[in-house]
Amino acid sequence: MSSSLIRSDLIPIVSGYVLLMGTLAIGLWLSRRPPRPDWAKPGRARRRARLPPLPERWQHGWPRLLRHLAATAVGGYLLLMTIVVLYYYGVARVAGSFLDSAISGCALLIGLCLPIFAAASWLTERRARRARDAADRDRHAPADR
Amino acid sequence: MASHPVIGYLVWAVLFGAVFAWEGLALSHLSGTVPTLSATFRAIMRYPFGRWALFALWLWFGWHIFLRGWHFLLRS
Repeated sequence: MSSSLIRSDLIPIVSGYVLLMGTLAIGLWLSRRPPRPDWAKPGRARRRARLPPLPERWQHGWPRLLRHLAATAVGGYLLLMTIVVLYYYGVARVAGSFLDSAISGCALLIGLCLPIFAAASWLTERRARRARDAADRDRHAPADR
Repeated sequence: MASHPVIGYLVWAVLFGAVFAWEGLALSHLSGTVPTLSATFRAIMRYPFGRWALFALWLWFGWHIFLRGWHFLLRS
């Protein structure tokens, strides 16, 4: 197997596999770990516990969903960009404006998908609210028969 | 389009078949210990880093499938 094949194909695939399986393993380990008492938590967790909580209106409903979406999208985008940049400068200088395409293309995908997801969520919620309102009206309406 | 030996496609078909078979086993609750794909993803998405990793994977897939090597249609 040639060294260029190892650098451009084997190393990325093995690294991706190790990253994915490592994430899975850490997630599994964290989910099965018994909860620790407050005094045994590391400094970061204790500092986080001491932080003032977010305002009440940011903890429910749309603000919470939007905060969750933005955090996931920004975190995922930055993670992918880190991997892409490391791959480009550390493994293989891929031709054809690889970095430009990754940075602008992924941003375009997020820009297209997040508004559609938010709109679909809003429509679903509106339909569910209307169905609940209709059911409430039927329940409280006087019986005509 | 490049022509590849049939065995290459067959291997992909068998791999995807194994994924579906494993998911089917999990959904049937025959073994009782096999987590479904949804349960696996829920376990990953419980933590921010897992969500970022899955979102990055989704983004990478979409970029490769839809955007990489794509040119604006009106560009000569």
